[in-house]
Amino acid sequence: MNPQDPRDSEHSSSAALDETQIEAIVAEAIATEAALARSEAAPPSSAIVWWRAQMRARQEAAAAADRPISIVHGLAIACGVGLALSLIGTTLAGVRGSAGWLTEVYTSLSAAVASVDLTSRWVMLPMTAMLASIVIASIAAYIIFADE
Amino acid sequence: MTFTDVRRLELDADTADVALAMDEDAFRAFYDRTSGALWGYLSRISGDRQVADDLLQESYYRLLKCGMAFESEVHRRNYLYRIATNLVRDTKRGPRPVFDSGVEMADVPAPEGRASAEQRADVRRALGRMKPRERALLWLAYAHGSSHSEIADVLGLKTGSIKLLLFRARRKLAATLQR
Repeated sequence: MNPQDPRDSEHSSSAALDETQIEAIVAEAIATEAALARSEAAPPSSAIVWWRAQMRARQEAAAAADRPISIVHGLAIACGVGLALSLIGTTLAGVRGSAGWLTEVYTSLSAAVASVDLTSRWVMLPMTAMLASIVIASIAAYIIFADE
Repeated sequence: MTFTDVRRLELDADTADVALAMDEDAFRAFYDRTSGALWGYLSRISGDRQVADDLLQESYYRLLKCGMAFESEVHRRNYLYRIATNLVRDTKRGPRPVFDSGVEMADVPAPEGRASAEQRADVRRALGRMKPRERALLWLAYAHGSSHSEIADVLGLKTGSIKLLLFRARRKLAATLQR
């Protein structure tokens, strides 16, 4: 914009000569600085800015979608911990109440185990199957949750 | 919520269509038309080229995310400048290298047919002594040729106050230049 620009009249005061001079000085100064700014300006390409905007918008959308998932995870963990604590409490109370009964059960179980022939295939087969399933379940759980 | 539900939600988030206010072609054309001028505005209002680089992209991103329907190119451009102005206002930086350094002046080639290096240094010093809002007023009026209502819209001021504010800013700059 220069002092002769018709739009400039809006910026003129009604105006004594000194105001006109001031306007000319300011217009020239800003025009000089604007020309310098144009020569300095090296904005990134539109493709880069568009790509960055897309990436950022996706990240923000993912973060927004993750928020309720995190809340559900937190609630599930809190429920699990509460349940486990209540189970432990109930179990401890039961154990205290039936310590004598447990001692009897332990004694009879020890006697029963001592009488079992561990080399028998009726014992070895189920135990091997149980061990194998524990190992397979552990590996499967690791694979499923590894990318979490 | 099952594990499958969680996975589905995560996959949905990864592939979600991002809601931006313009399509790529329209954005790139608009950016190519406006980015140089906006960078000049940001660098002169903030007084810091690094800030201008950062805020340029942030301004366009916020424009894309605003979800507004613009009546015209001018309306969109004014809104972009309003975003940029607010970002500058929110940016707190100490040094203002654009206006402070005479050494930097020498690094930038002078536009042809323009003032001498000494005159340009005077202009920079004078602009550096002004408030960001005064610089914004003068820049929009004289570098962009914006009308009073456009300036008011960009700076969040009343249209009726622009004439007086411009008058004062002009006087201040001219007085500093005359010293």
